[in-house]
Amino acid sequence: MSVELKKPTLKDFKGDTSTWCPGCGHFSVMAGLQRALVNLGIHPHEVITVTGIGCSSKISEYTRTYGFHTIHGRALPVAQGAKMAAPEMHVIAAGGDGDGYGIGAGHFVHAVRRNIDLTYLVMDNSIYGLTKGQTSPRSQHDFVSKTTLKGNKEYPLDALSIALANGATFVAQAFSGDVKRMSELIEKAIQHKGFSLVNIFSPCVTYNKVNTYDYYRDHLVTIDEPLPTREEAIRVLKEHDGNVQGLLFVEERDDFQKQLGIDWKMRDVQNGPMDEAMIRALEKEFM
Amino acid sequence: MTMASIRKLEWKVGGQQGEGIDSTGEIMTKTLFRYGYYVTTYKQFMSRIKGGHTNYKLRATQEPTRHAGDDVDILIALDEETLTVNRSELVPGAIVIMEGKDVNITHVEDYILATFPLKAIATALGNPLAKNMVALGMTGALISLPVEEFYTFIEEQFAKKGKAVIDSNKAAVDKGYALVQEHLKDRVKTLEAVPRNPDRLYISGNEATAFGSFMAGCRFLSAYPITPASEIMEWMSAHLPAVGGTIMQVEDEIAGITFAIGASFAGARAMTSTSGPGLSLKTEAFGLAALSETPIVIVDSQRAGPSTGLPTKHEQSDLYHMLFGTHGEIPRIVLYPSSIEDAFYVAAEAFNLAEMYQCPVFVALDLALSMNRTTTPRIDATRVAINRGKIVTPEEAEKYGEFIFKRYRFTEDGISPRALPGNPYGVHTTSSNEHGEDGYITEDPEIRTKIMQKRLGKIKSARLSRPYYVVDGDAPVVLVGVGSVRGVIEEVKARLAEEGIHVGGLFIQQLHPLPVEEIQSYVTGKTVITVENNYYGQLLNWLKMHFPIHASSHSITQYDGNPFKIGRVYHEVKELLEHVRRTQKTHA
Repeated sequence: MSVELKKPTLKDFKGDTSTWCPGCGHFSVMAGLQRALVNLGIHPHEVITVTGIGCSSKISEYTRTYGFHTIHGRALPVAQGAKMAAPEMHVIAAGGDGDGYGIGAGHFVHAVRRNIDLTYLVMDNSIYGLTKGQTSPRSQHDFVSKTTLKGNKEYPLDALSIALANGATFVAQAFSGDVKRMSELIEKAIQHKGFSLVNIFSPCVTYNKVNTYDYYRDHLVTIDEPLPTREEAIRVLKEHDGNVQGLLFVEERDDFQKQLGIDWKMRDVQNGPMDEAMIRALEKEFM
Repeated sequence: MTMASIRKLEWKVGGQQGEGIDSTGEIMTKTLFRYGYYVTTYKQFMSRIKGGHTNYKLRATQEPTRHAGDDVDILIALDEETLTVNRSELVPGAIVIMEGKDVNITHVEDYILATFPLKAIATALGNPLAKNMVALGMTGALISLPVEEFYTFIEEQFAKKGKAVIDSNKAAVDKGYALVQEHLKDRVKTLEAVPRNPDRLYISGNEATAFGSFMAGCRFLSAYPITPASEIMEWMSAHLPAVGGTIMQVEDEIAGITFAIGASFAGARAMTSTSGPGLSLKTEAFGLAALSETPIVIVDSQRAGPSTGLPTKHEQSDLYHMLFGTHGEIPRIVLYPSSIEDAFYVAAEAFNLAEMYQCPVFVALDLALSMNRTTTPRIDATRVAINRGKIVTPEEAEKYGEFIFKRYRFTEDGISPRALPGNPYGVHTTSSNEHGEDGYITEDPEIRTKIMQKRLGKIKSARLSRPYYVVDGDAPVVLVGVGSVRGVIEEVKARLAEEGIHVGGLFIQQLHPLPVEEIQSYVTGKTVITVENNYYGQLLNWLKMHFPIHASSHSITQYDGNPFKIGRVYHEVKELLEHVRRTQKTHA
């Protein structure tokens, strides 16, 4: 089907009215994503946005694309399945740090090493916001919350190093306080052929009084050019305690579907009788 | 001396896992299948790669059956344990061919024990691996099967391995024939020759399920390896790429179902296959598919639970899980093919129902149905036509003129038109949160109530084309079963009929929504005897939720990891009938 379409504008991406708290970092992430899509000339119907559960996961309702707001921790498997079936679509997976690095951590590692062509936006506020302020896998050591009254005795999960160590082909980090840079990174991530991770520091103004906009403005170091090796990228992350923004590492490698080399026709199944000639051919296996 | 003629053969080969028991059984079975006999099989094995007793049972008959039989006429015992474990199945006059130091033929109780140094004999022929072929040759000789029947198979089986391997295997078979002539000549019988019939298949439930799914247009299967379901994934793995699809072996069971849900959302016919432990892990996602009204087919090849349970053993104990599993209340369709033949059609129709009713569809199998091959008729290609349900084209979607396509539009039948990603006029959000017609989250009590009614009400009319099979439905006592148990019930029913006792047989293939109106006359007020492989009598309890069945109703249960023996069910049914008769007399 060919439909003549006008160039997409920001208005085309306007979804449901947001319920995020005023000042929430997620507004900027949404703006960054929508701007990236508009800049790339991608229309809403060409995008599938799959999210998990949490404040940030509501981005699939607030941004008008083919959205799928799923269950906690499962954005990545649903998104990968969607991309497998519809490789011509742009697939965005999104969610929070609890969703992706806590309950969904198992899927995260495998999505990294599998390298299906999609973009994963993690809106990292280092807290569980929607359940009203519990410690998350990204919360700092000694972070005090209702569930860690004497301070968090675990250390935050270094998601970017995990991704780098497991063969990620695109690893970036951004900040809600720097939308322009973030939007550019998301644009690059969408254009990248393979799994692209953009971890975005997106402050929770209601529950996280440590990892605030000011905190990131004070601590973030900007990387202007991707680092030459994974090892170097991991070293730089360690050096700055994870507080870097920019494209840390990128590598061109055939994505999962390209490697399989299948002529993808999953969605082509039409109404009508079953293919009798094929049945007869396959029956020979059982004779 | 005239050779006795026989009309059936029940044969078993047993030994340690890793000794080629499975392939030996397959060769024997396929040879008799091609010879024109109906074959049913049962494989018994343990959850380990090597070692431990394993056996392969074959029943070859002139009429179709759906049960591998209780008896053994010829037992090939590659070790003594095989005899110990299977002794009770030997019929009077049975022949046991057992690995031993010397050739020795003795009468033990009421069977013949013939030991042969099978391994040494095969080694002397230059191929120690061919000891099983010597035993196969002996079997062939004992039933006067023309040796050429084996040759054809050997040539086919070992084609890739070259002439030397083919010749050594043929020699081993020949040796088996010669040994029988030399030592067991007086025990030779003749299995009647029957017309060969090329219009039959030799197929397992897992293969039939995969084949049916494939023909129905399933193009994506994501799953995690698990016994006894893995063969479904393996079959699909070999065939999907040629038609533009693929399987994915994913990181865990949750990914198994959620990948498939994603693929289905994007517009592919998608499935996941698993067994009990996997089903437990997938349970939250049943609700995701149901609430987002995303079609999905979930195959549960049941094994003995709970937890890891008896991972290689048969059971039918996940009925409650498929019927009730997940939090909250969801629309679902639960199907259970009552034969390997039906597995093809039920699987194929599952994809239609999933898309037509936009909900999760369960296809229940059980280990006996899944893993064992049997003779079935060839596929009737006209029985199922692909119906993708209410998917709107761009032209249709454009007519609604909506900025946000109402994915959950209220309609007369409760089923909303579905726009697939890529459709320029169908952009919408799907959510596992409660939502309104537009897919956006809502907590409005009125909308919640209305959309619950739409979602849960829409499946009422969902029907498999054959939701059940009934035989002698007017009898006052009816035997009811699902899945592989149909085979036992049919045989018990036939045995009782020979004695002039008539009972009904009801084999339910659609458990949810239960075809209540259609089957009520067969069960309401009747003595319902369910035969089921679980402790609670899950099927009987499910029927009790729908029908006022007679108080004398009962379930015959077994949960030891093995399928029912015909004899056991026959005796229990007779006792129950006697009990019912006496009770009724007392009341009269």
